[in-house]
Order: sequence, then structure tokens, then C-alpha cells
Amino acid sequence: MPAEVASLRYADVNRDVVRSLVETGPKYYITLACALGLTLVCFLFPWFYQLNLGIAAAGMNHPQVWGTYEASFIFWIGLSHSGTLLSCVLHITHSSWRKAMYRSAEAMTLFSLMVAVTMVMVHLGRPWFIHWAFPYPNQMELWPNFRSPLLFDVTAIATYLTGSSVFIYMGSIPDFAAVRDRTTGWRHHLYTLLSLGWRGTDTEWHRLGWAYTLLAVLIIPLAVSVHSIVSWDWASSIVPALHQTIFAPYFVVGAIYSGTAGIVTVMFLLRKYMSFERYITELHFDNLGKLLLALSLIWTYINVLELFTGWYSGASTELEALKYKLFGYYAPLYWEMILCCAIAPLLLISKRFRTSFVPMLVLSIAINIGMYTERFLIVGTSLSRKYLPDAWGLYVPSLVELSILVGSVALFSTLFLLFVKIFPSVSIYEVKETLPEAAELPKPATAERGGVQWQPVQ
Amino acid sequence: MATSAIGLFVDPHRALATAGRLKAAGFATIEVISPIPLEGADEVLGKKTSVIKRFTFFGAILGGVAGFTLAAGTAVLYLHPTGGRPIIPFPPFLIITYEMTILFGILATVIGFLISARLPAIRERAYVPEAAIDRFAVAVSCDDEECLDRAASLLRAAGAEEVRMAASRPTWRLPNEA
Repeated sequence: MPAEVASLRYADVNRDVVRSLVETGPKYYITLACALGLTLVCFLFPWFYQLNLGIAAAGMNHPQVWGTYEASFIFWIGLSHSGTLLSCVLHITHSSWRKAMYRSAEAMTLFSLMVAVTMVMVHLGRPWFIHWAFPYPNQMELWPNFRSPLLFDVTAIATYLTGSSVFIYMGSIPDFAAVRDRTTGWRHHLYTLLSLGWRGTDTEWHRLGWAYTLLAVLIIPLAVSVHSIVSWDWASSIVPALHQTIFAPYFVVGAIYSGTAGIVTVMFLLRKYMSFERYITELHFDNLGKLLLALSLIWTYINVLELFTGWYSGASTELEALKYKLFGYYAPLYWEMILCCAIAPLLLISKRFRTSFVPMLVLSIAINIGMYTERFLIVGTSLSRKYLPDAWGLYVPSLVELSILVGSVALFSTLFLLFVKIFPSVSIYEVKETLPEAAELPKPATAERGGVQWQPVQ
Repeated sequence: MATSAIGLFVDPHRALATAGRLKAAGFATIEVISPIPLEGADEVLGKKTSVIKRFTFFGAILGGVAGFTLAAGTAVLYLHPTGGRPIIPFPPFLIITYEMTILFGILATVIGFLISARLPAIRERAYVPEAAIDRFAVAVSCDDEECLDRAASLLRAAGAEEVRMAASRPTWRLPNEA
């Protein structure tokens, strides 16, 4: 355990976390105002413009019907994958380094899912008919087709959003109770409501432990299924380079990869700007770096495999799609992706690199730029080379689409900035569990304890 | 009237040991209130069983049935024959079934948690704000004064840093709410 963590006392944790909630400087307000302003200017205005003018405001055409909106949708869904999934896996495997960072990682999941759902709404020409995707009796006698992967998507994402919200909330109940006692005014009332009257009795801890573990067990297969299903939106079509069995694992690995990089970015910002230096340490960056390295290798392997499968098939359409991908119109983007996601992450072999904060931040952003490119290439290059040359076509995003892409990042940032001031972004009780305070106290003689062996939970 | 005697301890081992001793002395309702989950609490206060896993199990089964019924029912209501394929095909509908199984499992777990942990607290209960920071409290509920006095003296004898008498009302309320 790093020295800065070991020097913490229980009361310090409560104080630091409450401070992160209630002490707000001008820097925070300026950042929030910028994020909010960007959301308005770059996201909402262009969207209203597109709603007004029609979907032609975007650069989509025939055959390029997906464009950056769908690329953003896959990207944000992907980013959501690491938070809750990683948190669940590390909870089940009793990894104590998870405890300082999981709350904000889960929040990342929640908000990127929300942004992803918004991107679908933007992509719909007439989003006010979204309720047609829901099965309910109506006078048009219109029912959705549950054989379509798009309906699988609706079901899976709705389930994942519900699961992630419940998971982050349930894990926060004891912390709401702890900050309830230390706050006044509207915050006190809010936390009184949110904490549900939690007191921290042995029964409550026991029930929470059970429920939390059961949720984690349910959410792990759910998260894997969500991105597999997203991949089937593409893989179940007959377009060359999309119709591949590797797509589900390819998407899942890519999602966890970009999500983990996202966690590194968020951890860096939290550490630096919310003064959590004593909680989020080199250890976290080191471990996340190792994870990123492993994921980048798996991701690279699947990419090579994808090329190999196309080449080995010998089918002229597959070969054409392959050639187009490597040397065609979008080739610079392809090689940029390889550089960002396959070559640059090799730096993570060095421990010195993994434990340096700024290089890790730069790399994590580079990986996510690469991963966005990957998603764009999946929808862009495949649709531009279909079976017959008369179905070929190029796509360049319009200003509206690019603006909405930037705006979606601003929307995510706004949601996250609001989160850090309402939710305790570091889990109070779980960080305490890792501290030596309780464990270091002299243990009374066995007879006095009634023959009970007591161990602090690690 | 006070209904609980609460002893505050700095040391979790001592708090647990005291809870065990009070239990042995015949007190029925003893709670250990702590800022972190204590692993030994089960052995001192008796093994706890939880109904949450049953909620999860039956919730998941209900979800599976509901999911398949949703997909199959929709297909039957809106007939959409495609190339001689079945109206109720199993492979795609299993995906809907799977997602709904998990959704209902999650929701049932939450309901099971709330019911078994008796949350949200509707009635006021004995509470120690320090126990959310760094103190470990042992709370004994009693019906009469004599029992309370006995509990308080046992808590003091066990080395409690402080012994409080509490009515079943939380002490963290703001003065203007009292």
C-alpha cells in the first residue's frame, strides 16, 4: 500500500469526500459553464437545426446511411463498458485497488450510456416517433419486430442502463448516509432521501453485501451481451467486411479497451482537479496500464484476424473491401487507428510509463481517438464497398454532424461535472476497508472476544 | 423515554466482543453499527440468512417467461411471415428472453434488498452519526428502564468510550426539525 494511502485515517476520508462535494471553487463553475455552453452551441442548436431542416442537414446519403451518428453511438456504448463491468469483475475477484476508483468509473458508464441513447435519437429523422419501438397496443395496430437486432439493442441497452443505475446507487447508499450527517440545507434533505435511513447496522451491511454481489454477477454477462448485440446490428447484415462471426468479441474487446482508457482519463482529472491525490495513486495507473496493454494486444490480434479472415475467404467482394480498407479513401484513418490503438500502447510495457500521470493521460486520449476512428471505419468503409459498383459511395460528415460529435463530448462532461458535486465520487466506506486503521489496533485476547476470530474485510 | 442504550467503541474487536457478551447475558435485540462491514458480526450475533437470493432467482425466472411472452406475443399479434420462417423463431427470441431475465433479476434483487434490510426507514430508529465516521457502536434495545440500566452498565464495564441513551429517534436531525 502506498505511504500516502496508509497515512489516512477514517475521519480523513469522510472529510475529504464531503469537501469534494461542498467546496466548489470558481474553476469548477467556469468549467461547468464552458461544458454547458458547448453542449448548447455544438449539440442542441445543430440538432434543432437538423430537426427543422430534416435529416438532409447531415451528410448521410445512399449507401452511407449510418455516418458519424452511429459511429458515436457505438463509441459511447463502448465507453460505457468498462465502468460497471470492470467494477463488477474486480468486486467478484476481491481486488481492493478497485475501491477508490469504481464510483466514478460507474458514473462514466451511466453517462456515456445516456449520451449513446441521445445519439440514436439524433440519428432518427423523426425522433418523436421513438415510441414506435416499444411494444404496446395502439390504434395503428403497429408492433415492433423482435427478430431485428435493433430491437435487441433497445432491450439490451434499457436493461444495461437500469442495471448500471441500480448498481451505482446501491453502492452509494452508505456514503449518502455518511455525507448526510455532515451537510446542511438542500444537500442534507437530498442525502436524507437518497440514504433511505441507512444506519450501518450489521444486518444492513449483510444485506447490502449480498445484494451487491448478486447484482455484480447479473451485470457481468449483461455487459458482454450488450456490445455483442450492438455488433449484430452490423454483423447480421450481408455487407462484405461486416458479415463476420468475429464481430461480437471484436466489439466487446474494443468496448472494454476504450472504456478502460476512458477510466484513465477520468481518474487523471479527478485526481488533479478534485484533490484525490491520496486516494487515486500510481498503483491505480499501474494496474489500469497493465489492463490496457493486455486489451490492446487482444484488440490487435482480432484486427489482424479480421484481415486474415477476409483474405482467406478468397471472395472477390471481401478482397475488394480489404484492399479498400488498407489503401482506399479512408486508409489514412485506418493507419491512424493502428498507430493509436496498436502501436502507441506498447509503451505501457514500461512501468515508468504506466506510473507517469501525464503520459498516461495523453495515451488514454489517443486510444479513444483511435477507437472512435475504428467505429467510424466500421460503418464508413464497409458501406462504401458493397457487392456491385453502382452501390459504392463515399461519405464525409457535414458540419452539423461534426458539431454534434463535439457536442456529445461536452454533454458527457456536463453530466459528469454535475455528478462529482452530488455523488461522493470516491466510495467512503470501501476506501476505509482498505485502510490499516482498524486492522492495526491491538486485538484483545481470544477469550475476551468469546473465541471469535475477527478479520477486517480486505 | 429512552429505548436503546448505545455504547461507542474505538476498537471494532472490542465492540464485537461486547456485543457477544451482551448476547450471552440474555439481551435479545443487539445491533452493531459500524462505518465498514465487519466480517465477524455473523459469528458474534448469530448466522444471518438472507432472502435476497430467492428474490433474484424467482425474479429472473419471471423475467425469462415475461421476455419470451413479450416477443412471442408481439409476433402473434402482428403476423409478419418472411420466407417461410416460423412466426415464433427461437434463436432471436432467446436474446429478448435473456435480457428480460437479467432485467427482472436486477429489479427483484433491489426489491429483495429493500425488504430484507428494512429500508427505506419509515419509523425512526436509534442512530449514531459517529458510526458513519470512525466509531463502532453497540446498540441494545430494551422495553424497560431496568434492562436499559443493566445494558448501560455492561457497556461501560466493557470499556465503551461513551454510553448514550436514545429514544428511537435519530440524533442527526437539525435543531429546527426537532
